[in-house]
Amino acid sequence: MENIRIVADKTEEILQEKHIGMAYFTVSASEMREFNVEGGEFSLFRTLYDNELSITAYKDQKKGAVSINRLEETAIRDAVDTCLKSAESGVADSNHAIAPKQENEVFRQGVYEPDIDRLFERAREWMEDVKEQFPKIMVHDIVVSHTKRHSVYRNTNGTEFESFSGEYAVSFGFAGHEGDQTTSLCGSYFTTDSLEKPFMSMGSVKKDLQDAQDQLKTVSLTGKLEGTVILTPECLSEFLYGMIGNYVSDNAVLEKTSIWLNKLNEKVADERITILSAPFDERILCGQRYTQEGFKAQNYELIKDGVLKSFMLSLYVANKTGLERAKNTSYNLIIEGGETPYEEMVKSVKNGIIVGGFSGGQPSINGDFSGVAKNSFLIEDGKIKGAVNEVMISSNLAELLNHLIAISKETVENGSGVLPYMAFSNVVIAGK
Amino acid sequence: MLGDFISEKRTLFSTGVHTELRAQENRQRRVNLVAGNLTTNNRTETSGVSARVYKNGVYGFSSMAECSGQAAETVLKAATENAVFMDSHIGKEKGNYPQIPAGTVLLNKEVVDTEQKKYIEFARDLDDYIVKKYPKLSSRTVSISADSMEKRIITSDGYSGHIASPRAYVYLFLNSETAAGVPIELFCAAAGGFGNFEDIFTDPAMIYPKIDELYEKLMHKREGVYAEAGKKTVILGGFLSGMLAHEAVGHTVEADIVLGGSVAGPALNKRVASDLVTMVDYAHTTPFGPAPLPVFLDDEGTPAEDAVLIKDGILTGYMNSRETAEHFGMKPQGNARAWSFSDEPLIRMRNTAVLPGKDKLEDMIASVEDGYYLTDTVNGQADLTGEFMFGVSMGYEIKHGKLGRAILDTTISGVAFDMLKSVDMVSDSVIWSSSGFCGKKQIMPVGLGGPALRCQVMVGGR
Repeated sequence: MENIRIVADKTEEILQEKHIGMAYFTVSASEMREFNVEGGEFSLFRTLYDNELSITAYKDQKKGAVSINRLEETAIRDAVDTCLKSAESGVADSNHAIAPKQENEVFRQGVYEPDIDRLFERAREWMEDVKEQFPKIMVHDIVVSHTKRHSVYRNTNGTEFESFSGEYAVSFGFAGHEGDQTTSLCGSYFTTDSLEKPFMSMGSVKKDLQDAQDQLKTVSLTGKLEGTVILTPECLSEFLYGMIGNYVSDNAVLEKTSIWLNKLNEKVADERITILSAPFDERILCGQRYTQEGFKAQNYELIKDGVLKSFMLSLYVANKTGLERAKNTSYNLIIEGGETPYEEMVKSVKNGIIVGGFSGGQPSINGDFSGVAKNSFLIEDGKIKGAVNEVMISSNLAELLNHLIAISKETVENGSGVLPYMAFSNVVIAGK
Repeated sequence: MLGDFISEKRTLFSTGVHTELRAQENRQRRVNLVAGNLTTNNRTETSGVSARVYKNGVYGFSSMAECSGQAAETVLKAATENAVFMDSHIGKEKGNYPQIPAGTVLLNKEVVDTEQKKYIEFARDLDDYIVKKYPKLSSRTVSISADSMEKRIITSDGYSGHIASPRAYVYLFLNSETAAGVPIELFCAAAGGFGNFEDIFTDPAMIYPKIDELYEKLMHKREGVYAEAGKKTVILGGFLSGMLAHEAVGHTVEADIVLGGSVAGPALNKRVASDLVTMVDYAHTTPFGPAPLPVFLDDEGTPAEDAVLIKDGILTGYMNSRETAEHFGMKPQGNARAWSFSDEPLIRMRNTAVLPGKDKLEDMIASVEDGYYLTDTVNGQADLTGEFMFGVSMGYEIKHGKLGRAILDTTISGVAFDMLKSVDMVSDSVIWSSSGFCGKKQIMPVGLGGPALRCQVMVGGR
């Protein structure tokens, strides 16, 4: 890997030569090794060597940003010049800023050097486990990889953060298959720093396989009802991303389209809902340690006991709007387990569905959403009757958060988040 | 222009295996003006070299972020070692690809870099126009994006080539509120396509009519009503039928997806649509002119030609790589493409379209007693079963053969091979789009198109 500290020194020197008063940059070098399975068979082994230099510079409060992957001096000089030219063409805005000087720090996370033979064997073992334990599963694709990254961040206020990180990432795509019958594509994903355990025991992998196989038994749902949906942790994360994009993100606040714009420190959700953005949680692997603006990252509460505690804002939008910036810019979301065992949650549903995936249009700006409930099961009088397809659900993201029935005791940890099952009422469920 | 430092490395290719060596540079330029604030002013460039080696049914691949002969040698060695590792652990003992003729594809389009200043000035002009003409809008976003791929490819057997695919687009988002104060938004890719920014965008005034049209639609949507949930007769406008061609049918007939169990596996040579439906993945030229994003050569060295997927309602073929073409006894037609230098070629669509029919759009609308005319879409997804979903951002009720009120955002869904059998009218003109990226492990710019279709789908209203 490149000696990125030398590249960082050179970049800093050139920025100083150009008398740039406000700037930050990151230099990184990475190595990735990846095995692919396609159509149920091992197909590819990749080794990638990559670099990145990203520079953001301000000239007369005008911002420009450049990213390249070449690290020789001429490329750095060109990148700085291009960045400056872009900034000069920009729009002056007094709200552009970077963090004041922070204490320099070195971060080491995850497993830096991979055990490639072990990684391959774990993937092969998983394929064999699937054949033996889930004979009606057809493996569509597997991507298992290890990425190590060394990066150096510096800014013109004298802050330096250096980071060494490495993690294994594992994703599976599979479907139930019997004769000519195929279920929807299902998936499972996790990151880890350890290959001690078989992949079958990680995250929600085993349950996801069982659910896919169970989807071969379908029942029909006709007509329309207002009922309960239980969102699996995987599916819940999609809805949370929708909520963030529509209600608490930079654009939603800057454009004033968020319906929560004036609701800071007010109740926006059921009081049992607390959502943390927590890259420092011990269950999160290789979480964010610093923001691009140069702040050391911290955990924070997005919603606490149903009350909106923070927007997810950059320093620029925070300055622009007078609101507080987010204390990190990651998506490491955590909702702790609740009081209700998952089995009890299912038993309590009179009419509803368990939704394992959601294929929907982008939610409307106010949070209205509708889409197809994928990998889903019908519940009647507390019993799972079978899988359903061609079923659509619709509601509103903000309303959903106020129609909570229960939070499961069980949570799924996949290395990037910790989420439970959550049951919500008053959702329109439409069958054929 | 990307220099040639790889041709001389052909002598290093191992015998008895298939080898590809590719040098590539990608550029992306992006400007976002959000409510008049320049929130994005970015230029990104990535370049490097990669090698892929096919040995006995498995691949080794390696890439480096460096454009040099030394880097080419390093990745060739690493890719070969990776192929050997896989072969020794897996041992499929397949032979090599069937040979294809050798040849050369010459550079079709030079990538021209545009100064960032020009993008910003163009965007600010459009933003000024919007603010002055429509001051009551609650917000607006003007976004300009230009991306390009330039590649040099050499292969141990097959074509070599130097190819480039620049693309530029202007996107607009307008925001308002309904009378009840509910925020609404409408988006369009106002103009753009294959080519350099300066080839396409000579004057901001060319976009003004698109802004006016978008504003008018937004005002209709402001008065919009929720669609009624359930199975409905609809006229899918060209943007939606193009999305249908790509998402709901196209992905299920990519041969790697077929091998993963897609519904198209057992449907080959069977009826999957009404006989009014013919669908083709065009390479570079359509019967109506150049394809929106022409592809002349893929990254496995296969010269690109059209792939006929559905002919008069019968599923006739898949899109293939050289490996899957051999598996299915089909001809590779140039669908194996990679987005970045560090990406391996995957089976990708190029310009996928439903062909036009003979009906007039106005007759189609007049034929619907109670349904919807759906004109704009923001996204779409489908899966192995062909079950699809499209987000609909604009549409109108049809009552007694006449267009009625606009509808608010909704979603439609169906199962492609069921829904296509319900198509009973097809309009006589195609609308093309090439503004988005297809996502499948890697992103990839693609073209898609279609005529208006009358059919039955599920509408996800309230």
